Amino acid sequence: MSDVNHKFKNVIASDLSVGDALPEFELPITAKLVVSTAMASQDFQDVHHDKDAAIAKGTPDIFMNILTTNGFVGRYLTDWAGPGSRIKKIQFNLGAPNYPGDTMIMSGEVTELSQDGEHHLAHVNFKGKNGMGNHVSGTAIVQLATVAG
Amino acid sequence: MSDSSAADILERIKPLMHKRVGPYNSWNPVSRTQIWQWCSAMGDHNPLYLDDQYRAEHSEFSRDKAVAPPAMMQMWSMRDVNGNDGPGSTTDNLFEILAALEEEGYEGIMAVSYDQTFHRYLEEGDRAHHYSTIINVSDLKTTGIGKGFFVTQLAEFMDQNDELFAEARITYFKYQVPKKPAGASKPSAPGKINRIHPVENHDHEHFWQGLRDGKLLIQKCDDCGELRHPPQPMCEHCQSLNWSTIESKGKGTVYTYTVMHYPEIPPFDYPNAIVLVDLEEGVRIVSQLIGTKPDDIKIGMPVEMKLTEVQEDMTLPLFHAAGPKIEEKP
Amino acid sequence: MSNTLSRKAAIVGIGATEFSKDSGRSEMQLACEAVKAALDDAGLKGSDIDGMSSFSMDNNWENEILRQVGGKELKFFSRTEFGGGAACGPFVHAATAIASGLCDTVVIYRALNERSGLRFGSGQMMNNSPLDPNIINFSHYFPYGFMTPAAWIAFSARRYMHEYGATSEDFGRVAVAMRDFAATNPNAFFYERPITLEEHQASRMIADPLRLYDCCQESDGAVAFVVTSVERAKDLANTPAVIASARQSIVKESRMMTPFYGETLSGIPEFDACAGEVYSMAGLSPSDIDVACLYDHFSPWVLPQLEAFGFCDRGEAKDFVKDGHINRGGKLPVNPHGGQLGEAYIHGMNGIAEAVRQIRGSSVNQVEKVDHVLITAGAGVPTGAAILERG
Repeated sequence: MSDVNHKFKNVIASDLSVGDALPEFELPITAKLVVSTAMASQDFQDVHHDKDAAIAKGTPDIFMNILTTNGFVGRYLTDWAGPGSRIKKIQFNLGAPNYPGDTMIMSGEVTELSQDGEHHLAHVNFKGKNGMGNHVSGTAIVQLATVAG
Repeated sequence: MSDSSAADILERIKPLMHKRVGPYNSWNPVSRTQIWQWCSAMGDHNPLYLDDQYRAEHSEFSRDKAVAPPAMMQMWSMRDVNGNDGPGSTTDNLFEILAALEEEGYEGIMAVSYDQTFHRYLEEGDRAHHYSTIINVSDLKTTGIGKGFFVTQLAEFMDQNDELFAEARITYFKYQVPKKPAGASKPSAPGKINRIHPVENHDHEHFWQGLRDGKLLIQKCDDCGELRHPPQPMCEHCQSLNWSTIESKGKGTVYTYTVMHYPEIPPFDYPNAIVLVDLEEGVRIVSQLIGTKPDDIKIGMPVEMKLTEVQEDMTLPLFHAAGPKIEEKP
Repeated sequence: MSNTLSRKAAIVGIGATEFSKDSGRSEMQLACEAVKAALDDAGLKGSDIDGMSSFSMDNNWENEILRQVGGKELKFFSRTEFGGGAACGPFVHAATAIASGLCDTVVIYRALNERSGLRFGSGQMMNNSPLDPNIINFSHYFPYGFMTPAAWIAFSARRYMHEYGATSEDFGRVAVAMRDFAATNPNAFFYERPITLEEHQASRMIADPLRLYDCCQESDGAVAFVVTSVERAKDLANTPAVIASARQSIVKESRMMTPFYGETLSGIPEFDACAGEVYSMAGLSPSDIDVACLYDHFSPWVLPQLEAFGFCDRGEAKDFVKDGHINRGGKLPVNPHGGQLGEAYIHGMNGIAEAVRQIRGSSVNQVEKVDHVLITAGAGVPTGAAILERG
């Protein structure tokens, strides 16, 4: 896995200021992604893998399940903050579904920096926007790594 | 449905609240295979989870045990593919409140928000179970998708030592599915929401075509020479119907502005700064201001236009803060 | 300018449905309920109606209402354009029609499910017909996402702050005053829910500088009135609210919600143009006004209305408001029903109903000794104003 490890870099408190933007992350939504992530998250509801069943329930296609949204929020935060970070809180509201063929663009911003004992915490606003609006928007608290690199 | 019947429903279901139901057990302990399957599907290459070497050298976790991404919290004690809870789970119905609402005609359900706190990351071999409690039911609310009640569930995720490793407040909207009018069409393919196209009628077409041709055009009266924007067929100064256009340099100053925060209307990015620009030529034009932080926008600030193709077949004169003037050396 | 409509007609009946977020019934039913209630209040029957007037954005046809409320024939009917800017127009039309002898008794109505139906604040209000003058006007704004009333109003609010040194708190004081009145009005959305200035300042930004509490809540509901000749009014039980003056107002700078191209954005040129005549037609001056029911869809635009109608000088409304003059017990209580910010957003018609109650002495927040009430229609659009007098 070393070929993918090298892109990870810990963000430390002294690197950050309120208002800093997190790098954007673009996620093309495919049927394979929707189905494979639903299975990986143990969500077997038919609207996440059976297009006919989804249409019968009034949606135009299968769509991403919530646990997967949660997973991508988690990934977005640690891709940015690095493997030395620890996620403390994630709060989000759900909006426009992620259907195959769409693209979700995740963006975020540091809104507050605080300390809990020896740990530095970054408070982050994030959203994942697709072609129909915000799929997900919320806030998170990430405990930052203490060493860079 | 009247408010009093909503009150009746609430009175009936409120006693069902605050009943802690569980445990819901897991089928399997936390395993490297399932973590791998999750990370692989999500494209999550964080070395903390599956790279033993990394963990040994750079983390508080043990070399030998894969670490589960925290967002996996809920899946360990989910039902299997056949809809069965893990062995030894309670047979109590957590969702009797939801069932009661369904009986009253509130059949739709949609998760609207998650609020999660992670106390510790699970490791390979840990064994999860959870308890659930309905902690709030709202008054009857009307939203874009119908009338219904917001129901909030507290899920407590515990490990083999009955210690809380994560908790979540999950809010659902339990709603009356609006009756479809007869002849309602089938759901259409999901499409990207685009900016609303302007009307390009006889009076306005030249303006939008000009933008597509790379020019911001201002109407000019052929008889009295007055400039005007937005376009209109008759000169308000001399009533002439004869007009042509001049090309604006696209430079001006902000006369007033707003920063739109809510509602977030797709496909726009928020906050969305809108400016009314006094163009040097002497007319005003509305546009978006790109690239300036909301707090830095000021009345009177110099701005300049950049023609931007925002989507297929739509070019707009978007404005940016004007850079410092660079004097050309002779 | 002739004054033939002054003191020729009076409002003798008011009726309304409840105001809600979801009426659960059709706009036609709301209209019929409110008209019937207004007739009952006046002590008249459907068959007494011979005229009707409403707004162009109302979806209920005159013939349908007439038939259902027991009417027989209309000699006069009219519609006024421009949403809330039309709140006073129907009274101008009714008084003119009655003064001219065209008809005798006019019903005015406004019924809308603007909350559970099409919400104007959602940015989705327009159809896409290339012939619709709304969509032609808004074509120069929608492509930028500039598509909510709050954002359009924000352009003017920002200029008002810039030119007169007003702040968000000055707008907040208007909202606090409206919510204070609403708190003691059982018919208001915000009954028993006053706010503080701190809460206003903490409320989320909608379209900078407008915060949540600067914006009215879209509402379902209907309001109706019966207007008749002052002679006939003498035979009826209610104290008549005589239309002492009424005027519509369009100026060359007027646009539909987007008056961005005139000399100034910090005032309301339509009111500047008509205020003098609204007073002179009635033979009154600002000091004669006991209560004002001003159009308050967004709090910032209450300030320039106070200036246009001569209650204070240009740019000084912020001080007038800060000194508490528009509050309960102030020298010019504004919107004692709680306004659209506190009671409901029925395109200003609920404010006119309050003006009639103040004249009658029957408001829940009754001001002492009310002889004259100023009413205004929507700001930022072609509009109108009127003065009602205790008959």
